[in-house]
Amino acid sequence: MKNKTFQSLTNPLAKNNPVLVQILGICSALAVTTQLKPALVMGLSVMAVCAFSNLVLSLLRNGIPERIRIIVQLVVIAALVTIVNDILKAYVYDVSKQLSVYVGLIITNCIIMGRVEAFALSNKPLPSLLDGIGNGIGYGGVLVIIAFFRELLGSGTLFGYQIIPECFYEAGYVNNGLMLFPPSALIIVGIIIWVHRNANKDLQEK
Amino acid sequence: MSKKQFLGGKNSNAYIVFYSTVMVVIVAVMLAFTSLSLKEKQNANILDEKKNAIVASLGLEKGSYDANIEAYVVNNEGVKIETTNTPLDMLFDLPASYAAGEYPVFEDKNTGALVFPVTGKGLWDDIWGYIALENDLNTIKGVVFDHAGETPGLGAEIATPKYQAQFPGQTIYEGDQFVGIYVVKGGAQGAAHSVDAVTGGTKTSEGLQNMIIDCLGCYDNYIKSVKAAKEEVVLTENAE
Repeated sequence: MKNKTFQSLTNPLAKNNPVLVQILGICSALAVTTQLKPALVMGLSVMAVCAFSNLVLSLLRNGIPERIRIIVQLVVIAALVTIVNDILKAYVYDVSKQLSVYVGLIITNCIIMGRVEAFALSNKPLPSLLDGIGNGIGYGGVLVIIAFFRELLGSGTLFGYQIIPECFYEAGYVNNGLMLFPPSALIIVGIIIWVHRNANKDLQEK
Repeated sequence: MSKKQFLGGKNSNAYIVFYSTVMVVIVAVMLAFTSLSLKEKQNANILDEKKNAIVASLGLEKGSYDANIEAYVVNNEGVKIETTNTPLDMLFDLPASYAAGEYPVFEDKNTGALVFPVTGKGLWDDIWGYIALENDLNTIKGVVFDHAGETPGLGAEIATPKYQAQFPGQTIYEGDQFVGIYVVKGGAQGAAHSVDAVTGGTKTSEGLQNMIIDCLGCYDNYIKSVKAAKEEVVLTENAE
């Protein structure tokens, strides 16, 4: 039982990663990954929303009327996202400006509704909370990996600090402009999925 | 088991109505509470952003507002007036101040350069900005524009440094006549008082032009009075 609870945290990290295996949340993975900082904040925000919506709905699961189940889920998720948005605006204003509408769009992130429907409504609060955190980390982790490559290759910086030395540029090195556009995120996601499936043979379709 | 009987069970209409009502009230209270408790901090952030935009239009460093800027309010006739709101407060609802005939001015204490806040409508939502003038009160020293909801990549380009870089050096007066800045579709090609429109952002560009002409026009009398005062100083100096 202990082991199973723990698995709900670790499973979404690799074997059942929401982005790499279930191909969910791709939209925001394209939009907020030109720099590491917004990607990290977005990952943390989704983790917080996913964890708390799972927890709250798991606690409520026996009282929720079947017919308005989806509405209740949406209200809880939307309220949490609104709170996260307010907190970002108060404490990391510049990042919240960069993320702009994408924070609000966490409401429509399939990962969150998906985990609530598929897991929280039929499991106890603790495993649900861990499942939410796990999926949040699984999502945020992929975002950070994409953002790492996009910021490094596209701007030559990480977290805004210059990484690629000036002498490279003097020797003729040029930042890859494509990395700043959404298609590069798709390409990087594709490469990560390829590597991931190579490492996990059981994920490969016959 | 007792819950099953409450209001006729989990799936009865009465229970659903009761459940939704309670849920909505709780959520509303929670949201109102977070919103109110974080409001002050959020406003402080927005104020900082506005202060930084004002100093950025003057080409000064971030965070140097308090040390460098003196703010006051003028009216239609170009006379300084006392108001209940401070000039910085007015930036939170600039259209209302304009409507009330109160126009905030931000002055660089060291150089005497003036910054005028402007406000208008883009395609989807409000646009606003800060226009700094050189000491001749004719040439633009720098501009900062921002927007609430213009289309990314199209209208939203007005907020980019690249777009704003065309403004410095442009003049807003032809002799004594105020003209403002024309935002020209198809390229300004070096014409006087003109900058390029945003590609694919026609409505935003029109809004930008209207904003610049309407809002700077409100300061016309004030700019002229400052100019006259400066000329007087020069005249007396020459006479001496």
